[in-house]
Amino acid sequence: MDFFSFLGDNLQTFLTYTSFANFTLGHAAMIVVGLVFIYLAVAKEFEPMLLIPIGFGILVGNIPFKDAGLQLGIYEQGSVLNILYQGVTSGWYPPLIFLGIGAMTDFSALISNPKLMLIGAAAQFGIFGAYTLALLCGFEPTQAGAIGIIGGADGPTAIFLSSKLAPNLMGAIAISAYSYMALVPVIQPPIMRFLTSKKERLIRMKPPRVVSQTEKIVFPIIGLLLTCFLVPSGLPLLGMLFFGNLLKESGVTRRLAETARGPLIDTITILLGLTVGASTQATQFLTLNSIKIFGLGALSFIIATTAGILFVKFFNLFLGRDNKINPLIGNAGVSAVPDSARISQMVGKEYDPTNYLLMHAMGPNVAGVIGSAVAAGILLGFLG
Amino acid sequence: MRGKLITGLALLLFVVSDIQSQRTTSLKINEILVINGNNFVDDYGQRNPWIEIYNASPGTVNIAGCYLTNKIERPKLYMIPKGDVKTSISPRQHVIFWADNLPSRGTFHVNFTLDSVKSNFIALFDSDGQTLIDSVTVPAGQRADVSYGLIEDGWTLDKLREAKRTLPSYKDVMELWIYFDDHNNDGRYVTPSSNNKILDKNEKNENFKDNDSFGVGMTITATGVVFIGLIALYFAFKLVGKTAIRLSHERAKLTGLTTEEAKGITEQSGEMYAAIAMAIYEATELHDEEHTILTIKEKTKQYSPWSSKIYTLRQTPNLR
Repeated sequence: MDFFSFLGDNLQTFLTYTSFANFTLGHAAMIVVGLVFIYLAVAKEFEPMLLIPIGFGILVGNIPFKDAGLQLGIYEQGSVLNILYQGVTSGWYPPLIFLGIGAMTDFSALISNPKLMLIGAAAQFGIFGAYTLALLCGFEPTQAGAIGIIGGADGPTAIFLSSKLAPNLMGAIAISAYSYMALVPVIQPPIMRFLTSKKERLIRMKPPRVVSQTEKIVFPIIGLLLTCFLVPSGLPLLGMLFFGNLLKESGVTRRLAETARGPLIDTITILLGLTVGASTQATQFLTLNSIKIFGLGALSFIIATTAGILFVKFFNLFLGRDNKINPLIGNAGVSAVPDSARISQMVGKEYDPTNYLLMHAMGPNVAGVIGSAVAAGILLGFLG
Repeated sequence: MRGKLITGLALLLFVVSDIQSQRTTSLKINEILVINGNNFVDDYGQRNPWIEIYNASPGTVNIAGCYLTNKIERPKLYMIPKGDVKTSISPRQHVIFWADNLPSRGTFHVNFTLDSVKSNFIALFDSDGQTLIDSVTVPAGQRADVSYGLIEDGWTLDKLREAKRTLPSYKDVMELWIYFDDHNNDGRYVTPSSNNKILDKNEKNENFKDNDSFGVGMTITATGVVFIGLIALYFAFKLVGKTAIRLSHERAKLTGLTTEEAKGITEQSGEMYAAIAMAIYEATELHDEEHTILTIKEKTKQYSPWSSKIYTLRQTPNLR
């Protein structure tokens, strides 16, 4: 073999390793999805902290390569991406995210007006509505449970539960949950306007009372004991949520709380977003089931929002004139902290610029986080 | 006070000792084959009676140092040797001991055999040689290649009772210990080093598919539980809130305020909430291009020995 044919052969071999030689239409489609995510994050500012890592992760996961045992892909055991992905598959990223959420959440609105907790419970109908629809679409009960949790509008909870109940659907479920959380500003306002009258939108709620530090310290302790005694399978999520909150409210562990709500949650968000995005390799991800899951995810958000608003309207029938709740905060029960609470504020301001609903909406919003973690625990207990 | 402290410590010790029992006491004698005619072969290519031990705990348990015996009066008959990595049993996994009276063949060959005619008592003692972990008496008249084992790995009578209550397939089951015979075709096979019940389907899944195909039952039950959980929290915090308000009013009154003035302490103006709401709204806009952020942050510096210069500086040098 002469030198030039040796070079030619080598070049030919090299070309088979490039992405151009392994490119498929599926990869192209997923790269477009990744670019759309990045566009939505940058241009529309829809949940940029989620959509940028996920969108870029989709690009990373859809660079095609020859399967030659080079330990490149996220599904190849021992690859760097696979090691980072362990936090998703083993389910330890979501509890750490919950630790950070607990350390950054102020439960004062909920403590001062505990009846707002019930809105968070009502919005969980989205989970079980989607569960029923998923069963009708032919999914197994375990898969339906994992798909249903999209309606909880809580990415970490969705990843945690799907990693336990339906690991093969986790990529689609996570992408669907995060996509619709980012699209909350698009999905929720029309439903809120459609289901409420002008008079209801103008309801001014009684300002919340001042909450003492003792109450704030007692909240995570009682919250943990009550919810986890009822649903022990929710312990990884609820335990970390309330632990994070105790770090914040105890007042004596400021550094720990700051780490949990700062560097720790940021690090985990980066790793979680990137690896969830990268898990959408076209060869694994582009299936009919993924499309069904996207459809069901949208429906679950619609059901959850509707249930939250209708529940407030129903609840108002039993409340005195001075204690009425503005139904525009009903949407916040779906979690998606704090975006759905901000939607309540924005839509409320359209009708009365001096009516500040954000503080009130934070109540059902954080109750939604607790509610969806409890619901995930129930699904895990029943189907796991 | 001291009495209460002692009682509390005693209670704590009791709880801790119970937690300790999660370890070797989680081991169960799981399945026994007395007459091995045509069944599992040991590492020497021979067929001998075997005893299967199951780790029923969610953590790895090392069985080394424990004792296996077939005589209650001699609990320390065979000490399971230490130093063999294979004695660590993974969570919910099994290990097999050969009752061939040939302990020189290795860790898993015990120094007694099983009687093929009479009944056989088998016991597992903890490393102190006194604490009985588990025991079973295999009835006389065993048949060849038919094993005697727990209906499911590591089950107890309580577990069986619970299964009879909740799982339809266990409704008519009467015995905890049953016979496993490959020839019966009843799904109960001799399973050395494997699950006594072969899990070839997800029973919970099938149960929901058969009894709740539209998810109505799940929706009602699960939503009910979510509501119960949050209603419990609601009542708890209604109570905590009322107590906190009452205490703050009482404290305010002690400083000489009237009842009306005391009530005002727990309420604040709408303008203040508007400012807080605006601050939250702005503060949650965590984008790179941040503007008009209202920051309310305490500027006091917390003392911490971790960052104290006193502890990090060397001794002041003496100046001459």
